[in-house]
Amino acid sequence: MSFLSKVSVRSPWLYRINAGSCNGCDVELATTALIPRYDVERLGCQYCGTPKHADIVLITGPLTARIKDKVLQVYQEIPDPKVTIAVGICPISGGVFRDSYAIEGPIDKYIDVDVNIPGCPPRPQAILEGIAMAIEIWKQRL
Amino acid sequence: MLEVMNTLILKAVLAPLVLFPVAAAVLVFGLLLKGVDRIVVARLQRRVGPPLLQPFFDILKLMSKQSMVPIGAPRTLFLALPMIGACSMCLAIALVPIVGVYEPNGQFGDLIVLLYLLTVPAIVLMLAGSASGSTFGAIGFSREMSLMLAYEGPLLLVLISVAMKTGLAQGDLITFSLMDIVHYQQDNGSFLFDPWMWPAVLAYLSIIPANLGIPPFDIPEAESEVLEGPLCEYSGPALALFKIMSTMKTMVVLALGIVMFIPGNATGMMALIGFVFKCLILFLLTKSLLRASVGRMRIDQAFLFYFKWPELLGIVGLLLVVFKG
Repeated sequence: MSFLSKVSVRSPWLYRINAGSCNGCDVELATTALIPRYDVERLGCQYCGTPKHADIVLITGPLTARIKDKVLQVYQEIPDPKVTIAVGICPISGGVFRDSYAIEGPIDKYIDVDVNIPGCPPRPQAILEGIAMAIEIWKQRL
Repeated sequence: MLEVMNTLILKAVLAPLVLFPVAAAVLVFGLLLKGVDRIVVARLQRRVGPPLLQPFFDILKLMSKQSMVPIGAPRTLFLALPMIGACSMCLAIALVPIVGVYEPNGQFGDLIVLLYLLTVPAIVLMLAGSASGSTFGAIGFSREMSLMLAYEGPLLLVLISVAMKTGLAQGDLITFSLMDIVHYQQDNGSFLFDPWMWPAVLAYLSIIPANLGIPPFDIPEAESEVLEGPLCEYSGPALALFKIMSTMKTMVVLALGIVMFIPGNATGMMALIGFVFKCLILFLLTKSLLRASVGRMRIDQAFLFYFKWPELLGIVGLLLVVFKG
């Protein structure tokens, strides 16, 4: 492992994709788990505004039929090596929306998911642990 | 192959810094200040915050990634812009004296050259936004331009106030030599302690956030609205160069403020410690406290704010200098 990749592991930038989520998991991501209260910034993480800057992708929501193409398009714009995290029960199995006519999920039909964080919404501690696991996976891919 | 490319890029970036050690030292100091800023903001919000060296990790990570050029963007211009920006700021820092430590050769340039160089990053960002061919880049371009129109006026007024104050006292009308300004203040006391200069000081303090893209004036690079605007399509080393550019610009603006208002008399080690201390105070005052406590303005609010208050302060400051001598 070269010096550069050793250092790179300490600066994972996060990108959020909302695939038709009810906003519960997004609130957990934006306001409690990541930045203000439990502070994932101590792992070097930082939210980035555009998919081009991202290293770790957090996907919430059951992948509704209307948003599927857009989610896949944005996902493709994220450069490799990337690590994908499914946050909440919806992207994993569909959750309460399972078997609905309006959803195309679960998301691993289209995207290789590396870490699942189940919950409705997941606890902030679980999200932090999931991101720490994602960083370990990212380390192997560099 | 990737390893070879990485070392090549690293060498290309590091070579100029080795040739001009002051810029390298200033860059390292600027990145450390950025780390301090992130920790201070985290502590103000009652959380732990990243390690002190986090900005270095970010830059090195970006260096090890690939720069992508979007389809439809002019490749040469797209990749040349970050280099022009970073180089212009390395040049600018070479023109600003660090009192007692580093004195630039007056033949390289004076306050006017510095003023031109200080506008280069904004123009580079505008061009980068429009060259990337993305809608968000275009929005960033227009916002950057409005903001620049708003803060360039007061900035010019402040620089002219300081230059005229020194010039009138020395018998000329105006002097643009930064070393003359420093020497005048060393003989007659810093401008910061002269109440007649306080409007100019306040105007300069209020320009810093817009000039450096600090909330509430980080409107062109708002990541939650326009996906970081001009930087939207940049990735890898090109983005790292933009980060280096903004760090160097922070240092140029801070050092210029110190030179214009409180250069001090110390020499050698004491001068260096004094410079670091002054930079830290100015930086925490204009960046960390502001960033931790306010949200983001709309572009029209920011534009009106700059046309009202800093412009007014700048004009008052200039009139005071002209009539008080």
